[in-house]
Amino acid sequence: MPIRCILHWQPNQGTVVNSQVLNEISQCVETLNGVKEGRCKASLTFYRPNLRDQSVTIDFPRDFLGISMLELPNKYFFIIRGQKIVLEADSSILLIMEKLQSYKSKVALNFEGVLYKLGDFQIRVIKVVPNQAESLRGIMVEIEYLPISSIEKSKQIMEEFIDIWKEIVAKKSLAGQFMHAEPNYAEYGLGDNYTSQHTAVQYAAALAQLIQSAQVRN
Amino acid sequence: MVIDFNTHQKNWCWQAVLDLWALMVLWAFTGAGWPNLSCTKVLTETEPTFFTGVQMQTQMQQTQHQATAAPFSTSTPPPSSGGSASEAPPKQVAQAMDKLGQAGRIIADIRIGADRLLEALFVAAAQPHQGNKPLQLFVKEDACMRQYLQDLRSLGKELEESGVLSESVRSRKDFWGLHMPLVCPDGAVVAYAWKRQLAGQAGASAVDRTRLALKAFTDQKRRFFPHLDDGLEGSESASKKRCGSEEIAVDPKEEISFLKTLPDVLKSLEKEVPNLKILTFERLDWLKRAVTLTSSTNESFLEHNYHGSGKLRLGSVGTVAAEKVAVIELLVPSVFRAVISFHHAGSMDPDAVAFFSPDESGSYVHARGFSVHHVFKHITEYAATALQYFLGNQTETCLYSLLHWICSYETLFSKSCRFILQLLEL
Repeated sequence: MPIRCILHWQPNQGTVVNSQVLNEISQCVETLNGVKEGRCKASLTFYRPNLRDQSVTIDFPRDFLGISMLELPNKYFFIIRGQKIVLEADSSILLIMEKLQSYKSKVALNFEGVLYKLGDFQIRVIKVVPNQAESLRGIMVEIEYLPISSIEKSKQIMEEFIDIWKEIVAKKSLAGQFMHAEPNYAEYGLGDNYTSQHTAVQYAAALAQLIQSAQVRN
Repeated sequence: MVIDFNTHQKNWCWQAVLDLWALMVLWAFTGAGWPNLSCTKVLTETEPTFFTGVQMQTQMQQTQHQATAAPFSTSTPPPSSGGSASEAPPKQVAQAMDKLGQAGRIIADIRIGADRLLEALFVAAAQPHQGNKPLQLFVKEDACMRQYLQDLRSLGKELEESGVLSESVRSRKDFWGLHMPLVCPDGAVVAYAWKRQLAGQAGASAVDRTRLALKAFTDQKRRFFPHLDDGLEGSESASKKRCGSEEIAVDPKEEISFLKTLPDVLKSLEKEVPNLKILTFERLDWLKRAVTLTSSTNESFLEHNYHGSGKLRLGSVGTVAAEKVAVIELLVPSVFRAVISFHHAGSMDPDAVAFFSPDESGSYVHARGFSVHHVFKHITEYAATALQYFLGNQTETCLYSLLHWICSYETLFSKSCRFILQLLEL
């Protein structure tokens, strides 16, 4: 599977992310001669255990996430960041969870993106919005390099591309910058060959960073 | 032509030659693509008589087809298209053969013109005080070349219209059920289809039949009586010798003179490039493999790595004798997969090479195919140029040099800033 790197947008202290910033970023992609190809979507759900006795909740992981991706309709991914667990399940697990009622969905977020194609690269400009509302909570950019699947071999190419991308965004003098935090895949038991589990882990990590920076500002 | 001048000028001249070839490729067949110039080899050996005209046609058509089908593709009839609709198909076929012969002769003229241009360059480089003479020579040759290329282009258009070259046009059914000359990817020409022969009309010319028969007999002989081959191999390699400058691009410390057989070449390559996986195939077996290719992580179920026992292991099927090898696959795990095909099974003359991502699979993955990724497409184009260089310049060690050149790309993604810039400029 082609390699992907997710960069999340970190707004400067005292500023918020808004659709203006999103437009500027989309323009950056277009200055690179990116060709709009389609849309992509993923959704992330925070689960909370459904217990009668609320005091026991501390025994359960706080960061139990479920991720679904539009491009993989048959799969559903679970992540527990605290214990570094990632699980790829069939999408029918959702039916099972509903029947069991052991976990309730606490917060749901959508990652709605536009896909651009640049030569052997693909870029997705993703906005993070809550499920029910329209307010923009964050921006992510997903860079994908198609020819190879080995994370190690593609490290240099990805880093150089990310540097070029950051330069181009910096030229626009927007109130913020893109950050790239590569999760430690080995901790999750994932190998060098890139898979959609790696993507799920990246989504979770990027979201955690977004939440953390939002909390710091507030 | 042995000219003694310093390395810098030598390199510059060869670069000029390569650029000229690249230009010619672009001029002559824009749109049709011309990945392989192995026909040039034939041209320098013999004059373009009708006999080799036929050989020329086969080579040229072989290079024209971006062949994806199996070697034994069914012959598809051409349409009765355009202006030639009014003529009877036998005449169309004869005209097509004729035009192919003309194209062959024009290509020979172009080749001679290129040699003259090169000579002018050499003279200019070696004796700069000569003044205007080389320049005039150059200008004159330039005019001639342009004329030839123009002729070739118009001829190409005619051929395309008559259905000889374009694959899509051939797929329409012809009223008479007759076929244009069919060229199989291994070079054999089937000048007239069996249908026509059944109809009792004049069959293939005696010359064609004899040539086909000779080829078939030679192949069979090579397969079943390899020990009788010695005389044949010797004469072939002698005719391929060129009067180029003596150039040794390979490390002088290496004893490359012993690398005469395919097993030796592969063995030495294996030693030098440890993480390379080499697989050899017969031509049809490669096609079967191409559609079932998986990424490198699933390679474990295939036995590979060549053993020096004189036989070459073929996947999980068994051993393949060196005489049957027609396709070599070089896999650098997670970096690239290169497919090299030989001129014919058992020879050591590569005639096409292509690069792909290790994850690509499908019937388009073969030595004349192109990857879907731009980076590998670019490398494949360079590879074609490199192949021509090695064929022309280092015929004795062509395969070895080519394989080495391919292996130099194992650091493709570790030292690759150039490619990113190219990609971003797309």
